[in-house]
Amino acid sequence: MSDFRTSQSKAHPNKTNTLMTGIILMLILFISIQIWFLFGALNNALEDNFFFAVITFIGSLLFALASFWLLRYLPQPIKDEPLKRKPSDREKDKAPSID
Amino acid sequence: MAEEEFDNVPNWKSDFPIQLKKATHVNRREFAKFLGLLSGALALGNGGIVIKALAFPAKPLEGEHFVCNENEVPVGEMFQFSIEGSKVIPYILIHLEQDKWRAFEQKCTHLSCAVRYEPKEGKIHCPCHHGYFDADTGEVLQGPPPRPLPQLEVVVKEGKIYVEQAEENKNV
Repeated sequence: MSDFRTSQSKAHPNKTNTLMTGIILMLILFISIQIWFLFGALNNALEDNFFFAVITFIGSLLFALASFWLLRYLPQPIKDEPLKRKPSDREKDKAPSID
Repeated sequence: MAEEEFDNVPNWKSDFPIQLKKATHVNRREFAKFLGLLSGALALGNGGIVIKALAFPAKPLEGEHFVCNENEVPVGEMFQFSIEGSKVIPYILIHLEQDKWRAFEQKCTHLSCAVRYEPKEGKIHCPCHHGYFDADTGEVLQGPPPRPLPQLEVVVKEGKIYVEQAEENKNV
């Protein structure tokens, strides 16, 4: 029986890939802005511009929180398909017989 | 049917059951998590700057410091000296004209290279990335330095040269 999730997955087989790429690109964007803030704050701190340091810190903190929040939307990992191993003779002996 | 499936899986594969498809998927997840961690670290670094600015504010230079005798530095020459405080800061004393002295911090505001006075050009030059500063005011004339050189007030008393914190920086 087909449900909503199955049909959606069939319609967009690359959905996980697209989501992952989008999240990583957004994270890279956030980090780039944070590096820019940090560079500016370092330069301005030398000039005793305290206000700039505080503003960039608040901005950077917001971006960090946004990054953590984005991680919630990471697609779930693919579930393991357990590999079957040929049971040893001892294991065969231990197994309860149906008879 | 089941027996065939068992036979197809070699022992090494059952000992390390990691599928290639899964391995690449987890790697991207890990990368995204690492980016999140990096983002947090950058925010912490920015917070560190704020804490440093709050806990260790820049102290202005206190009192007068003897540099050298007036007759030791001819006109157009430069004299290097340093002042020891919480840390040792190198300075240069420049004899621009008769009775016209200037003292600047020797560290370039770009990447802290040692700057030198060029008497032919009448400018202060940073040899690392060719930044030029005005020898009179310390303003940036050319090159990558983002700020003017920090300046000290020069006081001449009975043939001896002293430096003190410049008036405009005393209230910082």
